[in-house]
Amino acid sequence: MKKNVPRKQHYHSSVSRRDFMKMIGLGGLATLSGRLLESPFKDLDEMMTSPAATRNLPFWVKEVDEPTVQIDWEKMEIFPGFMGTLFNPQSWPEGEWAKIQASNIQSTIENVKNKAPGYTLRDHALGDAQCWGWAITDVATNWTGPDVQPVPVWEHPTMFYTPADFGVPRYEGSPEENSRMLRVAGRILGAADMGFVKLNEKTKKLLYGNVVFEDVEQGYENKDKGLSVLPNKDLWVICAVIPQALNTFPDRMSWANSNTAAYSRASIYSNRMNVFLRGLGYQHYGSGTGSVGRAVGFGVMSGMAEYGRPGIMVSPQFGTNFRTVLLNVTDLPLAETKPIDAGITNFCRTCKKCSELCPSGAISTADEPAWATWPDGAQPWQAKGLKGWYLEAKKCYAYMLGGEPDCSRCQAVCPFSKFDQAVMHDLVRASIKSTPVLNGIIRKMDDVFGYGAQTGIDLWNTNPDDIPLFGLDTSRS
Amino acid sequence: MHTISWTWFWYLLAGFLLGGSLVYVWQTFQKMSIKFIWYEWVLTILGILIFVFMFQTFIASLEEGQTRAAWMSLIFFGIPVILIVVGVTRSIQARLVKSK
Repeated sequence: MKKNVPRKQHYHSSVSRRDFMKMIGLGGLATLSGRLLESPFKDLDEMMTSPAATRNLPFWVKEVDEPTVQIDWEKMEIFPGFMGTLFNPQSWPEGEWAKIQASNIQSTIENVKNKAPGYTLRDHALGDAQCWGWAITDVATNWTGPDVQPVPVWEHPTMFYTPADFGVPRYEGSPEENSRMLRVAGRILGAADMGFVKLNEKTKKLLYGNVVFEDVEQGYENKDKGLSVLPNKDLWVICAVIPQALNTFPDRMSWANSNTAAYSRASIYSNRMNVFLRGLGYQHYGSGTGSVGRAVGFGVMSGMAEYGRPGIMVSPQFGTNFRTVLLNVTDLPLAETKPIDAGITNFCRTCKKCSELCPSGAISTADEPAWATWPDGAQPWQAKGLKGWYLEAKKCYAYMLGGEPDCSRCQAVCPFSKFDQAVMHDLVRASIKSTPVLNGIIRKMDDVFGYGAQTGIDLWNTNPDDIPLFGLDTSRS
Repeated sequence: MHTISWTWFWYLLAGFLLGGSLVYVWQTFQKMSIKFIWYEWVLTILGILIFVFMFQTFIASLEEGQTRAAWMSLIFFGIPVILIVVGVTRSIQARLVKSK
């Protein structure tokens, strides 16, 4: 096992476009182009002292000393704030606000009942889902989803209405239609991909031990006993891939951006998905990343990924570049998605890159996966019943939490974790599935090409314009 | 506000250069009454495909921040392209010499 392998520092876009142009003999053209464009700076010093040195404006935008709207600072008054706006009911003559609000409610109900384009029940439910985190909402996560309620004094008085509030039946669609609807909503709410698993006698074993079933109409949380109760009825688990940023992904930067950001987005997504299901008139359970069951188990069963050597999921589209498969339980009928075979688990037999570069030595180097062999009563912190490569979890966690905080190297070096710009990556993936005899060569080429050797971008010296919004690059998201 | 991506420009430039080169070579061969044998056609098409693949990998790898991968792609895919160009050229040369 290689430990603390020296890793070269590469930066994103380490070859600037100007350097690149010079490389291919177009330096003269670049210089000429630059001179043709009117520069607002006389020399380099002036340019570096300007805010534009850290804020790249398009060439047609000029900094000016005064804004393009005239301001008289002598006459300028301090505005009292929100209370002085028309969003405050007190700002209106008596009765007028209530009249407008009543009209708002009436027209919204009519629109929902008439299924007006953009105002159907599911449109409204999606809008309400997006309100979670903005309107008056409890950030605390609950087993039965956010306890959102309509807020009659606000300017959106039908926010968080249920079908019963509207006086309409709950949304009805075929399982296929419902699945498609959730995929659309999921993309808006933060799920990069989605799969659906029906809970049966097998898949119920993937739920956590504190999730129990009772003959009740509606599930609930028994906080005294630490139980999360589901009703005995047909239920489906919505499995959502929560992507994380690849450009700030490797090693310790994972904590600073990719890791924590993805967990936060997972929580936001989960709560919003629950609000969406609530708005459609369906039950919804689970919130956050640790409430429903085993993410890897459901991720594999839903076809979001295959099981990988480090005991984590590896997706054909996202590699290991996602933080979790977030789980919500619902009684909305859904079309199940099947597990997949992209040759990934088979590739893990040959590759072993994660185990070779794991600084804690926790990842198995065995060629073949095996059934768990520890005696009954032992606590390896993993569940039996899987023929796989079992992680020496204590080694991993002792290193990750106590040695080199927030290590994510197994994910960073995985040959499936790639940006999506080079066509070569897809051809390699196709080869892994169709021609496994080349897997050994592919692993070697992954090393030769320098993949997985990066230590992440030099974040604080990166051009802010090159950082994707929320730090989440678009690669395979 | 996003800075402008010039990736499209490099692909466009490559398209013009490749297209222009092919037209030039084709016209030159027409003037010299040189005709391709079937395997020269196969090798030429293969060479063009590998060249396009190499160029895309090079530009895309730079965009991905994978500098080493970019240069390695030039080596790994550029060598076959050079070998094909040399092979096809020598094949045509040999035929021309033989015909004279």
